Amino acid sequence: MAADAPHPAFEGYATEAVPQAAVGSPGKDGVLELTFERTAEGTTLVHDYATVPFHISGTLGHDPHPDADTVFIQSPTGGVAQGDRHDVAITVGDEAIAHVSTQSSTKVQSMTCNYAAANTTLSVGAGGHLDYVPEPTILHADSRYLQELTVDLAPGATAVVSDVVVPGRLARGERFEFERYLSRVRGTGPDGLLFEDATHLTPEDGDPTAPGVLGEFTVYGTAFVLAPDCDETELSDALHEVVTDGEARAGATALPNGAGVAVRALGDRAETVQATLHAAWDHSRQELLDVPAPSGRKY
Amino acid sequence: MTDAATLESFRLADSFLPVGTYTVSYGLEQFIQDDRVEDPADLEALLSTYLRQQVGPAELVALRAAHAAAIDGDFDAICRADRRLSAVTLAAEFRESAQQSGDRLLSLQTELRDEALLDRYAERVDANDAPGNYAVVLGVATGLADVPVREACLLCCHGFVTGLLGAAQRLLSLGHTDAQRILADLRPVMTTAVEESADRELDEMTPFAPLVDVLAAEHERAERRLFAS
Repeated sequence: MAADAPHPAFEGYATEAVPQAAVGSPGKDGVLELTFERTAEGTTLVHDYATVPFHISGTLGHDPHPDADTVFIQSPTGGVAQGDRHDVAITVGDEAIAHVSTQSSTKVQSMTCNYAAANTTLSVGAGGHLDYVPEPTILHADSRYLQELTVDLAPGATAVVSDVVVPGRLARGERFEFERYLSRVRGTGPDGLLFEDATHLTPEDGDPTAPGVLGEFTVYGTAFVLAPDCDETELSDALHEVVTDGEARAGATALPNGAGVAVRALGDRAETVQATLHAAWDHSRQELLDVPAPSGRKY
Repeated sequence: MTDAATLESFRLADSFLPVGTYTVSYGLEQFIQDDRVEDPADLEALLSTYLRQQVGPAELVALRAAHAAAIDGDFDAICRADRRLSAVTLAAEFRESAQQSGDRLLSLQTELRDEALLDRYAERVDANDAPGNYAVVLGVATGLADVPVREACLLCCHGFVTGLLGAAQRLLSLGHTDAQRILADLRPVMTTAVEESADRELDEMTPFAPLVDVLAAEHERAERRLFAS
C-alpha cells in the first residue's frame, strides 16, 4: 500500500506523480520590491510588493541608528526549487538608511531538471545607505543555482552587501555535492562598472578544495563595503585588522575603481564566517554611520 | 607565423624582457610564508590553480579581446578589455602588479615599434583613463606583431609560470631541474586554460581563487617581504 493512501481504493492514484508547477507559474516566479524613502520620521518603507515565496510582515525598528528602517524577508516555502526564478528589487532613496536581511538561510533544494535563479537589483540614492546582509545560501546535493546581484550607487551613497555560501548540509556530511553554483556580484556607480566578483563552482569538473581556491575550508563568504568617497586604503587596513581576529581565515583588500573594500572569509562553519563578516560590517557601520551594526539576531 | 612574429614572441616570452617580473609573486610569497607551499609538488598544484582559476578565466579573456581589437584597430575595445580586467581583479596587489608590468611593457613597445595605436593607448594609460594591465598590453603587442592569438595566450601562461618559478627559486630551495619539470608538467594545464578562455566574452570573466585573495590581503600587510605582490 502506498504510504499516503487514505483507503485501499486510492492506492493506485497515490502512486501517480504530481507534475511540478512550470517555470513562470504562480509560486515559481517570486517577486519582491521594497522602496525606502527618507521622510520627516526618518526612513520609511513606502512601497512593498511580495509574491510567493517572498513574504514581508512590515518593518522592524531595532536598528541602532535612529533614522534607519529594517526589513527581514520571510519565506513560507522550504527553499528554492528547480524552475524557480526570483526577482528582487530594493531601492533606497536619497538620505534614507535601510537594512534588509532574510529570516533564515536560503536552502537551494536538490534538483533533477532545470535550475533555479535569483536576480537581485539594489540601488542606493545620493547620501543613502543600504545594508543587504542575507543569511547564508545552502546548496543541497544536485542543485543548480544562478544568483546575480547588482548594486548601483548614486553619488555619496554607501552600502554593505554580503554573501555567504555553504556548499551542502554540512551536519549530515553533505559537501560539494551540488552540480553548479554561479554567483555574480556587480557594483556600479555614476561612471559605470566599479567591480565585479564571480563565484563559479562545478565540483564535478574542478576541485573546490584545490590549493588557493577554498583549500581546507568549506564555507566561503564576502562582504563588500561600498563607499566610493572613503579612503579605501585606510578602510581596507582597518577592516583587515578587524577580521584577522576571528576564527575564520579572512582578509580585506581595496576594491577596484575606489569602490570600497572587499572582505573575504573562509571557514569550516557558516557561523564563523558570518561572525567575521559581521565584525567587518560592524566596523564599517561605525565608520560610515557612527553606529554599530544590528546584532544579526533573527528570533 | 613569419620568422619576425616567431622571434617577437620569443622576445616577449623571455624572462630577459625588462618588465619587472622579478618583483612580483602574486601571493606566492605569502603561501610559502604560511607553509602552504613547501615543495615542488605544492608549488605545481598552486600554479595550476592560478592558471585554471585566474589566468584562464580573466587574463586570457582580456588578452584575446585586446589582441582582436589591436588587429581591427579598435582602440575603444582595448580600453574596455583593460577596464574590465581591473574591475574583476579584486586583490589590490594583483592590480598594482599587473599595471606596473603592463606599464613597463607598454613603454618598451612604444620605444621599439612605430605604431599609432600603441602611442594612443600609452597616452590613455598615462592620463589614468585606462589601467594598462599587462595581459592587455601583451594582447595588443602580440596582435600588432602578427603573433596568432593562441600562441599569444600560451605565451602569457608561459610568462606567468616562469615568473612565479623564478620567485619560488628565491623563496624556496627549488632546484633548476625541479623548476623546469614543473614548467613542463604544467603544459596540459596551460593548453586547457587557453582553450577554455576561447569562448568567453568580456563579461564572462570569472576568476575565482578566494584563498589566494585572502593570502594576498595578508601579503599587503606583511612586515618583511621580498616581492611587491
